[in-house]
Amino acid sequence: MSFINASSDLVWEITRSQNAFLVKRKSSRGGDVQFSRDPYNLLNIHSRTHAGYINEKAVGVVANENGGVQVIAKKAGFANKPAAGRSTVTYGSNKTSRKTFKAVANQTAKNHYRPDLRHAAVARASALRISQKAPKADPERKLRGNAAKRAAATAENKRWTL
Amino acid sequence: MASRPTVSILGADGKATGATEVLPKVFGAPIRPDIVKHVHTGMAKNKRQPYSVSEKAGHQTSAESWGTGRAVARIPRVSGGGTHRAGQAAFGNMCRSGRMFAPTKIWRKWHVKINQGQKRFATASALAASAVTPLLMARGHQVATVPEVPLVVDSASFDGAAYAKTAAALGLLKAVGAGPDVEKVKLSKKLRAGKGKMRGRRHRQRRGPLVVYSAETDGKDLVKGFRNIPGVETCPVDALNLLQLAPGGHLGRFIVWTSAAIKQLDSVYDSKKGFFLPNSIVAQSDLTRLINSSEIQSVLNGPKGEARTKRTHVQKKNPLKNKQIMLRQNPYASTFAKENLGSIKAKNGKPLALPATFSELLLEN
Repeated sequence: MSFINASSDLVWEITRSQNAFLVKRKSSRGGDVQFSRDPYNLLNIHSRTHAGYINEKAVGVVANENGGVQVIAKKAGFANKPAAGRSTVTYGSNKTSRKTFKAVANQTAKNHYRPDLRHAAVARASALRISQKAPKADPERKLRGNAAKRAAATAENKRWTL
Repeated sequence: MASRPTVSILGADGKATGATEVLPKVFGAPIRPDIVKHVHTGMAKNKRQPYSVSEKAGHQTSAESWGTGRAVARIPRVSGGGTHRAGQAAFGNMCRSGRMFAPTKIWRKWHVKINQGQKRFATASALAASAVTPLLMARGHQVATVPEVPLVVDSASFDGAAYAKTAAALGLLKAVGAGPDVEKVKLSKKLRAGKGKMRGRRHRQRRGPLVVYSAETDGKDLVKGFRNIPGVETCPVDALNLLQLAPGGHLGRFIVWTSAAIKQLDSVYDSKKGFFLPNSIVAQSDLTRLINSSEIQSVLNGPKGEARTKRTHVQKKNPLKNKQIMLRQNPYASTFAKENLGSIKAKNGKPLALPATFSELLLEN
């Protein structure tokens, strides 16, 4: 970060105990879990690696309005220029999943951007793509047991006699 | 630092005017959440009004203990008869209608003295933090649309009481990218939980941007324009207040400066007698840069072992099916395959027939 007196490490130490993105919840396995609402956080987990607001380079994958995914990334060297330091790339719903994932992976990991986040970025893009699919209709219920079959048969007969 | 960083000045339309201002020295002050928190805790206490329960509460009865021998506790009991109250326990904090435990007194120590040097340190620290975008975001400010942090608006646009009206003031905030932060405050208004509702603190809401101005150059008309925008506060640059710079003791308030205010900031700090802006003890707090610096790297031992990642938990592959695995295990396999050694017939055709004497000798016994 290009600030006079602050670095990512310092900001992390200042904000790791409390910040606007942090969500603390009790875990059923005992202990607490810490999540993050940061849009630049791929795992939504409160950690130094995934905290997008402190790192100079950070990637976020969010759902696109009309299907597909949008990759938001921070431009390095724009730490004190938030409006200009945001890049957005959209991968629409017409692009195949494989091509989308490849593009997301390349954007994340190439040019020394954040190779450590490649897997997380692709996984998030994949999860978003899956969530955008129309849910399958439930299969028709099968009749279980003789009583049910008989009841169905009499109902059918009645329909014919009427 | 050889050259001090500058900040560009925005016009009223949110576009850069092209003019820049050298960032005042105070923005280089160390960011110390511990000091800010401590000073804030003290300062927040200095506005309190004394309260207490009535001196007489729970003591307006002539109860006396019955003493021992009546098979009841020796707590004072209300005397007389003819009413339910008679014979009931009184005074004690465990009694119905008794006084509370340790009744509150108006002479509690309500105020906290904070050393002036400490207060000034905290204010300088909070100002420095207000120029660090991640801290603004961590405080919850919506700064994604802000062109630059710190955000400086040209004082020329404040001429002639231009922002004496709220609509104009709100228009300015929206133009310079502070609109989302104001909107966030507006949506955050909630009914307060608890008794505060009936004590003049009915609602609670977030804090929005703080407008810091120079009273001499910008005038005071803007105060009227900004005061009815939810969450927005104003403050003259020569009377900066830690309670506004670090609400809740949390660093990183989003500040909208006027260019006159930021120009004046250096002289404001110069005029404080006996106070020198604190310097960071650690010049470089970036761990990655420290670790990769030549000073550190030159005294470290080189890496041990070869540059090879040890493969653990790899899947076992069948060399008979996977050519590469076969080659790794049997370097001769490539020559074997290339020269078709597997399909070469034995030399000289079939072996010669054994002489007749051979079987004779074999079966001699």
